Amino acid sequence: MEALLAAGATVAAVTEQGQLDEQTWVERAQRADTTAFEALYRMHVDKVYGLCLRMTGNTAEAEDCTQEAFIQAWSKLSKFRGDSAFSTWIHRIAVNTVLGRMRKSRREQDRVQAVTDISPAPVTTGDSGNLEDLQQAVDGLPDGARHVFVLHAVYGYSHDETGNMLGIATGTSKAQLHRAKRLLAQQLKQNGYES
Amino acid sequence: MNENQSFDDRLMEAAGSLETEVTPERDLWPEIQSVIATPSRSRRNTLFAQAAAIVLLVGASSGITYLAMNKQMQYVTPPPPNGLNVEHASFGDNYMLGPEYQDARNGLKAQFDEGLESMTPRERADVLKNLEAIRSVIEEINRALANDPENALLQELLLSTYQEELSLMMKIDNVANAMNRTDF
Repeated sequence: MEALLAAGATVAAVTEQGQLDEQTWVERAQRADTTAFEALYRMHVDKVYGLCLRMTGNTAEAEDCTQEAFIQAWSKLSKFRGDSAFSTWIHRIAVNTVLGRMRKSRREQDRVQAVTDISPAPVTTGDSGNLEDLQQAVDGLPDGARHVFVLHAVYGYSHDETGNMLGIATGTSKAQLHRAKRLLAQQLKQNGYES
Repeated sequence: MNENQSFDDRLMEAAGSLETEVTPERDLWPEIQSVIATPSRSRRNTLFAQAAAIVLLVGASSGITYLAMNKQMQYVTPPPPNGLNVEHASFGDNYMLGPEYQDARNGLKAQFDEGLESMTPRERADVLKNLEAIRSVIEEINRALANDPENALLQELLLSTYQEELSLMMKIDNVANAMNRTDF
């Protein structure tokens, strides 16, 4: 988590114009300055999109979630007090967006038969070799295990933070991580990796 | 056991090496900008339009049921007078609901169009396809009614299809409102 905060601070120091820090952009955006909000978007979009992509395993869904997360962030900016880093705050919104869309998607599947059948686009993450295999295995995990694995193992959030973000108990987060590891081990062994 | 622990360690190490930052394949900002640049509308007006349309449609539905029960097939009205703002493509060429319903429905449509703008292109396309399907059904029922104008079943079907259209528009409007909520 400290590494994340440090990364956030680094991003904050390097702005498009090299002059304003993140806090200044936030304050300007809170005064309804869309240019300032765009600067915040440019600073954080890759990380937010990466998180959405890891959690959904679907490019189109990740794009939608990213857009929705930033739209939510814009509408809630007045409530951002700076108690946590902006990156942590927007991450939390992105996680909620992903979970909300998944819940809605499940409800819609139960109720509505879609007119069109859209095939998910293949995920492109920039990983290579064994990491790409690992990413594919992560994509194949059940939702609960995948979300915990992504937040804890990939993004470095503690079990407390992960549980808080996902609305589950800390113990459940630990159990889901254990389950994720077990399933990943099985999957990777099938692909020829030795434990 | 040690081997398992070793695998766990390597797995967690590899997971920590996965890219946390991924650049989207397209620029997502223009669509975000178009949404946040649109001022949020009055929730009260939206609710009023929805309530008005529902009341009128339920009234029409009850009326047609009553008339059908009394064997008086006079409910569906002829085309409106010239100059009335009605979309023939949505309601067929021959059979219209009353002007009050049209006014309420037009008000709701304006909110629906705003809601559409706040959606992603993919979602928008899905919604429009669903709407197009409903409207083509309305046109088909209208064609059938032209041949059998006093068919109560067709009239009921037409009204329930109007309700489907209304329901879809309200659903989109509600989704758009949920996206604009500030009580997160």
